[in-house]
Amino acid sequence: MSTVISIKGLSKTYGDKKALNNVNLEVPAGQIIGYIGPNGAGKSTTVKILAGIIQEFEGEVIVDGVNVVNNVLEVKKKIGYIPELTELYDLLTPREYLSFVGKLYHLTDEEIEDRTSRMISSFGLADNLDQRMDGFSKGMRQKVLIISGLIHNPSIVILDEPLSGLDANAVIMVKELLQFLKSQGCTIFYCSHMMDVVEKVSDRIVLIDKGTIIADGTIEELREDENDTLEQIFSKRTLGDNYGTQAGSFAAAFTNRENTNNNDE
Amino acid sequence: MSKFLLWLIMLPSALWKSLGADNQQLRAILYAKLLMDNRKPLAFGGNKGVQRKKKKPGKNTSVRMMLLSLIMGFIYVLPVIITEQDVVLGLTLFYTLFMVFLTFTLITDFSNILIDTKDKYILFARPVSDKTVMLSRLLYIAIYLFRLVVPMSIPAWIIFGILRGWLAAIWFVLPLVLVLFMVLFFVCGMYLFIIRISKPGKFKDVLNYFQIGFSIVFFATWMLSSRMMNPDMIKGLDLTAFDWARWLPPYWIAASYTWIEPGVKAFPYTKLLSILAVVVPLFSLYATVKWLAPTFVRKLSDGDAEPASDNNEKVVEGKKQKNNKILYSVLNVFNKDEGSKAGFIITWLQTARSRTFKMKVFPSFAFVPVYFFYILMTGNKSLTDVWANLSDGYSYISLLYMTFFVMLNALNYVTMSEQYKAAWVYYSAPIEKPGAILAGAFKAMWVKYFLPFMIAIAIFVVFIWGPYTILDVVLATVNITLFTVAMMTMSYRLLPFSKKEQIKESGGKSVFRMFGVFFIIGLLGGIHYIITKISTFGTVLAKIGLEDFVPASWFAGISFSTKLVFLILSSIFLKLVFTSLKNTDWNNLKNDDSDY
Repeated sequence: MSTVISIKGLSKTYGDKKALNNVNLEVPAGQIIGYIGPNGAGKSTTVKILAGIIQEFEGEVIVDGVNVVNNVLEVKKKIGYIPELTELYDLLTPREYLSFVGKLYHLTDEEIEDRTSRMISSFGLADNLDQRMDGFSKGMRQKVLIISGLIHNPSIVILDEPLSGLDANAVIMVKELLQFLKSQGCTIFYCSHMMDVVEKVSDRIVLIDKGTIIADGTIEELREDENDTLEQIFSKRTLGDNYGTQAGSFAAAFTNRENTNNNDE
Repeated sequence: MSKFLLWLIMLPSALWKSLGADNQQLRAILYAKLLMDNRKPLAFGGNKGVQRKKKKPGKNTSVRMMLLSLIMGFIYVLPVIITEQDVVLGLTLFYTLFMVFLTFTLITDFSNILIDTKDKYILFARPVSDKTVMLSRLLYIAIYLFRLVVPMSIPAWIIFGILRGWLAAIWFVLPLVLVLFMVLFFVCGMYLFIIRISKPGKFKDVLNYFQIGFSIVFFATWMLSSRMMNPDMIKGLDLTAFDWARWLPPYWIAASYTWIEPGVKAFPYTKLLSILAVVVPLFSLYATVKWLAPTFVRKLSDGDAEPASDNNEKVVEGKKQKNNKILYSVLNVFNKDEGSKAGFIITWLQTARSRTFKMKVFPSFAFVPVYFFYILMTGNKSLTDVWANLSDGYSYISLLYMTFFVMLNALNYVTMSEQYKAAWVYYSAPIEKPGAILAGAFKAMWVKYFLPFMIAIAIFVVFIWGPYTILDVVLATVNITLFTVAMMTMSYRLLPFSKKEQIKESGGKSVFRMFGVFFIIGLLGGIHYIITKISTFGTVLAKIGLEDFVPASWFAGISFSTKLVFLILSSIFLKLVFTSLKNTDWNNLKNDDSDY
């Protein structure tokens, strides 16, 4: 299988803080990568570099044979990026917004209309197509955001917490969508804190902590114990020796507080 | 209207393409932005306008804004009429006014467009080049400014045409576009400079302080210079006596008029200078799009993602501790119950960190002394004359009462926030009466902003007019506090930072309300002034030979004791009104809990 994403020696600093430290990663075509890590580990920075939003970094990032630094627009054409924040021009209707996004990818009016109506219907938003989005719930906005990231049929999809705010049915829909995209040969780079979903949909899991990749493999390869869930793997790898004690001390802090309140009474 | 403007702006599409823009994307971006504009009420330069709750946005807001611009345009007619004999001077003044106004509008109101954070997620992730993004922003601003500039220049245009003929009228319009290009170049360059000097993640804060400083300087210069310059002075002005004037861009633009009407009074080689009027703006546009724009967009997209560095965090941490030390030392002095303390803390901390609050309230500290001197500089008096005779009379009373402006602004903006939904916390907490929070918020503003400012003004007053004014300072402080508490009770009974940021209400209602506010504070100040004036009645009686019947010292005593009675009455009312504010229950609150 050919490599679609190639990251070599990627480092990024913000002032004195090193967000990424010599990250190396090869992603073959058609794979779903679950990219996980604690808060502040460097996930979003990696994603923003891959999506061409951050262009100043050290190292080499090649997306589908194109160097991100040399030809960022070409890279952006190949990628469908769905950010964590549901930022939309919410004074527009979904139809207007998706038409606007489609035009940024040079799609024709017919293509935009066709894809919009199909995708909007499958997400159950057909009745809301001509309503302004400033009155939409978070989940509805998230659905429009997902559609806007896929409207140009990208060969690589980067999703940063795509399930945030979605109801159970929509979560199922997104999981099915990921499998469908994979079956179409799409490469998916999937960041999330929802470990159960990552575990179910990912072919391979990459764990990043403090700007460095600390684990990379299939769920089976990452397991230390036979019955470990991804959540347990995550905690063991990121907390190290503190694994098992943190939750205890957290609970103890609340127990002490409870006791103090009782004593006061 | 939007479609016509879009068509107009896309006419030179070959030029935009040659500058590196993708015309299809450019059109899509501008169309989306104009569409959104039509769905929110417009303010003057008002990118901050948001949909007013439960009200449909007015369909004719653009027209109303243009009408307002037209009315403002009559001010700009003056230099053209006054300097009829010296046309280059008149045009120089006209374009100077325009450039200053546009620069001010861009710096204070358009930073949100130039550094639109939504664009970071929506546009930066798409295959849109930096040049297209920046050109779309510049053209969007240009459309916006065009809607302001065109109606604003119509009165001057008509008068100029009548005075100078149809050829002059045709010429008059062209430089307006050139002025726009130069101003855009200047503002983009300035923003880049600020990015360069700012620490990572601090750009918006530095820009905010710059905007505050700029608006103060602009306001002070505008107000005081309008008093210092009168029509006779402008009429007698000879621009050629100031050699440096020839290097000012507005002069180049005015000088280009010599091609239409040769022989008018101007510097030697003026025609040569007028070439700069065309070359410099076009070069400015080219440089903005080719060089400044890509650097600007890249720095911004990279910089927005940057967290503050460890060093910065330490600096902020140190500052925070110092601020918190002051906060916690005054907290218990001014507040007894926990609800009031909560309101006090949140207001104290948030006001120091909210950009909108700082932007709107901080300039009012400078406006007070500027207004004071502006009022005194009537009848061709210079600043030196005013200063020399300052201690005569009782003008300090108006200065003392003007400080209410700071509290009024603070009251208005303390209720607003971008994160207004965070106010859910008040509704989820077991608060019996939200009045305690309101009382705490009022005290925080009073202690943090009003009191130090009043002390500074009081020191100035006592130093200039003498220690006998101390009672006046105390009385004015109590009266302003009474008035602002009453205002909060009647109009601003809102939880701190709980309302969506919005433009001020326009139209008859707000004008009427503002008139009422100024009338009442004027009435309080007027009564105070009359009571103070009683002390001079002795001198009046002496002049008409009645000093033997009523000694002059009596009047000083009457004045003093009346002030004391006034002070006691105001204090009692203050206590009553503040208790009413403190007792505000959930039903009396002007917030709508469905918002959170």
